[in-house]
Amino acid sequence: MGKVVVVTSGKGGVGKTTSAAALGAALAQRKEKTVVVDFDVGLRNLDLVMGAERRVVYDLVNVIQGEAKLAQALIRDKRLETLYLLPASQTRDKDNLTAEGVERVIGALKKTFDWVICDSPAGIERGATLAMRHADVAVVVTNPEVSSVRDSDRIIGLIDAKTAKAERGERMDRHLLLTRYNPNRAERGDMLSVEDVLEILSIPLLGIVPESMDVLRASNIGMPVTLADSQSAPAQAYLQAARRLAGEDVPISIPGEKRSLLGKLFGWRAA
Amino acid sequence: MNILGFFGKKASAPTARDRLQVLLAHERASVGDSDLVTRLREEILAVIAKHVKVDGEQVKVTMDRGDQVSTLEIDVEIPLKARVGAT
Amino acid sequence: MALALSPELPLGDWLHQLDDLAARSAGFFLRRPVVLDIEGLQISRPELKEFIDELSRRNVRVIGIEGARPSLLGADMPPAMSGGRATQDIEEPIAEAAAAAPDSGGSEPAPAGQPEPQPVRPVPSMIIDQPVRSGQSVIFPEGDITIIASVASGAEVVAGGSIHVYGALRGRAMAGSMGNASARIFCSKLEAELLAIDGLYKTAEDIEPHLRGRAVHLWLDGDAIKTETLN
Repeated sequence: MGKVVVVTSGKGGVGKTTSAAALGAALAQRKEKTVVVDFDVGLRNLDLVMGAERRVVYDLVNVIQGEAKLAQALIRDKRLETLYLLPASQTRDKDNLTAEGVERVIGALKKTFDWVICDSPAGIERGATLAMRHADVAVVVTNPEVSSVRDSDRIIGLIDAKTAKAERGERMDRHLLLTRYNPNRAERGDMLSVEDVLEILSIPLLGIVPESMDVLRASNIGMPVTLADSQSAPAQAYLQAARRLAGEDVPISIPGEKRSLLGKLFGWRAA
Repeated sequence: MNILGFFGKKASAPTARDRLQVLLAHERASVGDSDLVTRLREEILAVIAKHVKVDGEQVKVTMDRGDQVSTLEIDVEIPLKARVGAT
Repeated sequence: MALALSPELPLGDWLHQLDDLAARSAGFFLRRPVVLDIEGLQISRPELKEFIDELSRRNVRVIGIEGARPSLLGADMPPAMSGGRATQDIEEPIAEAAAAAPDSGGSEPAPAGQPEPQPVRPVPSMIIDQPVRSGQSVIFPEGDITIIASVASGAEVVAGGSIHVYGALRGRAMAGSMGNASARIFCSKLEAELLAIDGLYKTAEDIEPHLRGRAVHLWLDGDAIKTETLN
């Protein structure tokens, strides 16, 4: 049985889709069979970020409505044979996502994939709650900025209360992925520090992704950043995060950072 | 970021613009599900289903939407005993 | 009670003022328990019903109505209250007092509507060992709430008794919400959006700057909220 991971944040524009694609690719690069599922019905973007936008035939809603088989809707990545995409529908209404339909699709994906990465839409409405509903693990994407931190706190509360795991009385593992982190601004005190965010949200840290042109460039050319340039700082951050997600004990660092700053990082709890 | 690295890489914005132009041209042309490639796909599959009873798992449909040419590829496995109607 | 509202006629204008206030202090009434005091207000039953609906559309949750003629209230409305307590609850402390003195001869009849006297129980308290997250409410009218974690900005803790937060208090804390002036609030890091004891409140702007981020203890002295740093 594969593991289901929801990538969520509450707030829009913090890097959920970029992170879902990068983590999915990073796990697939470990030769583990991975599918990334876009839950943002009506505003799909994962296909663009993963460079599959010309190849979408069927989508998640087609599968839920029984108009296509799951195998027909899955798009295999051209560069990585262990990486798949299940796109969202661009034309359908999000009411077509039914709770039973989502449960069925996730259940089927778990049987054939090692990892099922659910890319949640922004907000706390239906799409977001369905994306997290059947997850085993949550990755909460947060920018070091007050509104993002507060929305993440709200989402963590929902993860603790409104998921299938919570209803069974279990606790879902939640990890913090800090994105758009700018070490210079943090140094000057113009940005919430890693410690601040960790103290407020009190969940373990999965990784710190520095703000970088490489992220923009990767999405321009339609490649997950870990594939576009695996040596770049954000790619290293996502590759590290994927290893932690897979249970490896990797010390937290900010890739691309000066060595001297590393001293500060001791004492953070890795995920 | 490394300055040499920056100049060493090809600018990515033109690629982004080209991809978006192709994508949006297709999306604007298809109100609902009515663009040519999608309609062909539906009708070809309907014709196949009229003559052969096929399981969804045995039909592979791939599309590639290009700026000049789009391709539609339908790959159907037809089992020996799958014919419908004819005896 | 946490907050009493005394509307004035015409209600339309009054609602307008309320909107104005709410706009200036975003989310102030959001999901706060509110008692409506309509003493002396010339208003018909349908008007009152419509007014309560208007308030609930503004996320103002009316938990009781004070000063209303019985004919004004219906089953579809919040219950009548007096002095900030639900009127049907007034018997309760008497019943408990009787139960607390079992040797007083036993000749006292149990008050009507209380078929079984409650056994003596310690003051109830609730302990929470996880962070209270933005958008969550912890409401415990029966007694004290102790939280061994932080209360996030946008979260709310409402206790009938005292509130103890062993962590940062960034949201709202309302102690003594059922009318208890001896309730107190303790926290190890004060960054609250709102503090209230027995209906008297302090907003973030009213909190003295030197108390921010400190371990603080708050109590009520008459009509004033007193503060003192701990340690």
